[in-house]
Amino acid sequence: MKLIEKTKIKGVLAEWSKDFNVLCPSLTPNGDCLFDDFDPQTFTLEYRKPSMPQKRSCFPQAEKIFDVREGSFVPAYNHKKTVLFGIRACDHMGLRQSKSFFTRDIVDPFFGCRSEDTVIVVHACSWPQNETCFCTTVHSGPYATADFDIQLFDMGTDFLVEAGSDKGRRMISSSPFRDFDVDDAQERLERVKHMAFNSIPIVEEVAEAMDILKAGGANETVWEHLGRKCIACGGCVYVCPTCTCFTIHDRVTSKDSGERVRTWDTCLFEGFTKEASGHNPRPTQALRLKRRHEHKLLHYNPVDIQTALSGCVGCGRCSDSCPVHIGTLEVVKAITDHIY
Amino acid sequence: MCEHNGNIYTPRPVTIARTLPQIEHHRLFQLSLEDGSSWEEFGHQPGQFIEVSVFGKGEAPISISSPPTRCDHLEICVRRAGKVTGAMFEMGKGSRLSIRGPYGRGFPVETFKGHKLLFVAGGLGLAPLRSLLLYVLDKRKDFDDLILMYGTNRPDNVLFKYELLSFFDRDDIKYLYSVDRDDEGIWKQYVGVVTGLFDRTSLSPGDTYAVLCGPPVMYRYVIDRLLKLGFAKEHIYMSLERMMKCGVGKCGHCAIGDKYCCTDGPVFNLTEVEHIKEAI
Repeated sequence: MKLIEKTKIKGVLAEWSKDFNVLCPSLTPNGDCLFDDFDPQTFTLEYRKPSMPQKRSCFPQAEKIFDVREGSFVPAYNHKKTVLFGIRACDHMGLRQSKSFFTRDIVDPFFGCRSEDTVIVVHACSWPQNETCFCTTVHSGPYATADFDIQLFDMGTDFLVEAGSDKGRRMISSSPFRDFDVDDAQERLERVKHMAFNSIPIVEEVAEAMDILKAGGANETVWEHLGRKCIACGGCVYVCPTCTCFTIHDRVTSKDSGERVRTWDTCLFEGFTKEASGHNPRPTQALRLKRRHEHKLLHYNPVDIQTALSGCVGCGRCSDSCPVHIGTLEVVKAITDHIY
Repeated sequence: MCEHNGNIYTPRPVTIARTLPQIEHHRLFQLSLEDGSSWEEFGHQPGQFIEVSVFGKGEAPISISSPPTRCDHLEICVRRAGKVTGAMFEMGKGSRLSIRGPYGRGFPVETFKGHKLLFVAGGLGLAPLRSLLLYVLDKRKDFDDLILMYGTNRPDNVLFKYELLSFFDRDDIKYLYSVDRDDEGIWKQYVGVVTGLFDRTSLSPGDTYAVLCGPPVMYRYVIDRLLKLGFAKEHIYMSLERMMKCGVGKCGHCAIGDKYCCTDGPVFNLTEVEHIKEAI
């Protein structure tokens, strides 16, 4: 185990930037925290829950997948070796789940390549980042337990640094990382983890709602009611660490040449399931909303969810951002309250 | 930097060897490989599908209509419906397309061997079933009795008309057909929905496998009828249609319940999908 002074982090990232594209928390002029290329001017450690998960580093919102030259398709791999610095444990679990989904059985080469070339530095949470955090409920946080390279724990003026892989161990092997050579290092770490875990309230309704869905589903009026409210903006999908649906389309530059692009898509959109004949097997917003939430809470793949409870990783962003209050927290309460 | 050979999304070039008009807005395309390999190597099974690419228009999932026993060409029966198929209808012999595949789980032909088979098809639903039908006819002695029930909406909308007519000359397949309505009064056979054909033949549900494909409304009625006749759920197979965009279980468009139509299907046994409300 290692220690590093927080003030030294900026220098470390500048050093890593020589070999990697370093994506790290950055303050925008209006005070939001986004993950962006390392810039000593905008880099910050004073951030809470970033408004977006960092799925785009492995699964960009829009990405060229083929150069098309006179009708021939040439795969476009255009990513760089990346350090994803300071992501939260919930978002890390989101990446783990997505990686499993994209590389299980048939490997998605674009996600696979990006993810293989990404070094993950998790910034464990010491307390809930806001009132919608429920990572402890779905076993995704507040700290990472596997598949990370480096993890940072806040110890005031220092970070306690845990290596999760050989690659991570090499990256923290020299100055300014210094050995944390006290006898009870492991115990101290456990104490920090324990306090963080206990600071985040458990949302009982999540497991309850999952049981109700497993037992045959929520009352259809729940979905009908929520479906009437949903404005199909797709915002919850945009901010969701585990939503990975996409569509593929072509950009033509000249006859038979151009690029094939894939972009995020969502089951909440009417056109998502609509067939060329005009038939739509999922014809109402109620059914589309039900699909999205059942995919997270019922129809998830047990392998893909890793050690989490569900396909929802409890970041709470859908509840933070939905303009009509249909986040996962509101949905599980609607299912368990039987109010509709 | 990591690279993957054999990128799953890379389409391969094919040429249209021939187009055969079927009925209005439906055409059979015969495809040839351009890269020197053979359709035998392609390795498709009855019931599988391909993704057809027309650059600039995108990709569309299309059922394979020809069996692996006939590998001169790959045949796909296409209805002009969207952007990709619309562009295909502007193409003729010698035009180039790109395809990916074969994808999906086809019909369990080994399970069917030695048993009676009942095909129930509606409209363009005959397209995926034809790959199995011709396969069975080509390996006829491996299978027991064969019945085809085919329904279309009008008498002039029968796909593969001459092929189907030739079945009347064979004594190893029983062919029953229906039309939903016959405004001109030219239809000499049964007028009504395809389930009406069940009253016109005797079946032995115990040793028959039923395979069905048709418009969405057809499945529930045909399945109800089969169950009433005493078919076991395990003996009912269907090919489901969904917007299968990527074909490899990643894009999410064809997900139903915990299944992906493109990789778990498109052929499903009734026991696999009966509990999923939106499946059929």
